[in-house]
Amino acid sequence: MRLILGWLFAAVLLYGADATIEVIKKVDSLPSIAVEDASVSFTDTTNKRFFRLLVSDLNVLTLFNVERKYSNTNYENEKVVRENKVMDYVLRYRLRTDDDSAFIADIKLIRENNVILKKSYRVKRSKMNPFIAHSIAYDINAYFGAAPVDWMKRKLIISRLSAPGESEIVIADYTLSYQHVIIKGGLNVFPKWSDSSRKSFYYTSLSSIRPTLIKIDVRTGKRTKILTSDGMLVCSDVSSDGKKLILTMAPSGQPDVYIYDVASTKYKRLTSYGGIDVNGQFMEDGRIVFVSNRLGYPNIFAKKLGDKSVEQMVYYGQSNSACTAHKEYIVYKARESTHAFSKNTFNLHLISTKTDFIRRLTATGVNEFPRFSKDGDAVIFVKNYKQQSSIGVIRLQQNKNFLFPLKSGKIQSMDW
Amino acid sequence: MKKTVLWSAVLAMFIFGGCSSKDPSIDATDDSAKTSKSGEGAAMVTDVVEEDVIVVDENAGIEDGSERTMGGLESRMQSVNFAFDKFDVAAQESDKITGNAAIVNGDASEFTIKLEGNCDEWGSDEYNFALGLKRANSAKDAMIAEGVDSKRIAMVSYGESNPVCIDKTRECWAKNRRVDFKLLP
Repeated sequence: MRLILGWLFAAVLLYGADATIEVIKKVDSLPSIAVEDASVSFTDTTNKRFFRLLVSDLNVLTLFNVERKYSNTNYENEKVVRENKVMDYVLRYRLRTDDDSAFIADIKLIRENNVILKKSYRVKRSKMNPFIAHSIAYDINAYFGAAPVDWMKRKLIISRLSAPGESEIVIADYTLSYQHVIIKGGLNVFPKWSDSSRKSFYYTSLSSIRPTLIKIDVRTGKRTKILTSDGMLVCSDVSSDGKKLILTMAPSGQPDVYIYDVASTKYKRLTSYGGIDVNGQFMEDGRIVFVSNRLGYPNIFAKKLGDKSVEQMVYYGQSNSACTAHKEYIVYKARESTHAFSKNTFNLHLISTKTDFIRRLTATGVNEFPRFSKDGDAVIFVKNYKQQSSIGVIRLQQNKNFLFPLKSGKIQSMDW
Repeated sequence: MKKTVLWSAVLAMFIFGGCSSKDPSIDATDDSAKTSKSGEGAAMVTDVVEEDVIVVDENAGIEDGSERTMGGLESRMQSVNFAFDKFDVAAQESDKITGNAAIVNGDASEFTIKLEGNCDEWGSDEYNFALGLKRANSAKDAMIAEGVDSKRIAMVSYGESNPVCIDKTRECWAKNRRVDFKLLP
């Protein structure tokens, strides 16, 4: 009997941790939180914009039922605003500037009129204040001991199509509230951070005779030409230590997956199929997962470095043309319809290489460019739906999707 | 009785086992160690994030004089169109290849030819770029078959990022599935 119980318990734990199983939470069971604005130095627009950012970030944490009503108070008030008395928690913030004109936010997390967390945050320029909101949410998440959300504080890099044959590369926060155009002019696509420090990134310039892979230092603007290839050249993935790149290149007109060593500047061809092999991604077990049309349609495959054999990873869908990998999990893009003359739907799906479960992560529109966060907690992707381009965030364990629209242009690709 | 209790426990594990293992234990948080009325000093997080200041304009310094001189020849060359999700040059498009090859080996014989592969709007990922490249490569093979020296031909794929038509119609999507013929000095 004890043996059976032990097995059952282990099975439950195993399934409980499987991200391919949908989790449906009871919303009412979450504690409530309200946000109070106690700023005096800034305009009403700045204060309320920051309020909306904080409310949005707290929602993304999925730890609370977040009150969306704006309320105003004095920072030093010992009691919370009257209508917030029923709340389990109140987050009060005060925006101000210091002598160097830096933007500062002081916060208090209050429970039953007691301050349980107090902190101040600073950025040099006011336009970077969305990162303060994300840092506040990150710290509150950490205070409650929830799974880390480091991805919230990270900078995104986006290629944004501004006109036919023209794009801009933009550094942004994950909600696109902050945007800094770092490269304008020409057609520059597929940006990828060069390592975890995010001090430089790779991108493909399509403005010269052949596609060129360039590395740029974001602090100095110094550009270094890495490689040139006929037809196509994309940095598909960067190893976690930044020492290896997976490239899609076509030096003889044939798109294949290559591995590039940053230190030695030497590259090696990994696939040699006569059709299309693209979108290679590092997996933790040392394999490379990639997209190939070797079965007559695009699908997801994996192979070991130096091994000739290739393993099919996905057995669902007739057109799976993009993927991202984290540990045993793969998120892939699947075309749900094949119409030359009507709207098509592309959805993201999650599979585990250890189980047969498939979880559909999106429902409408063209969903592409899935990228796992470094810790696997979230998947970020690009959604194009009804003329609107958005960044989507999927929190896998919480079974929640969030969308942050781009005001103008279309997102070509992104990395975080 | 003992068995009933055990099986109830097993059942309960199955019911709750599917729930997230990442529920925050908010109610269980011990506030006492961190609680104060207001006297606690606030820890300043200095510079949450590094400032972005650099802007690079890739158009700066580009001279397009040579492009103007080749414009007349380029306008005489026709784009080759492709079927949905296909990259082979269809029979009805082969006359365009023949005509373009005649210009390339005639009036434009001193120039390099750049074949630009393009796709419709269904996806901006690498696979779509590869599809554009395969189209350019098919056009390259067809040009070589018409007697054009392969060394004079360069290729680039723009995926869906260089449409000639932005309406949401079948005619428009068909126009965008194409290879353009450009000249370079």
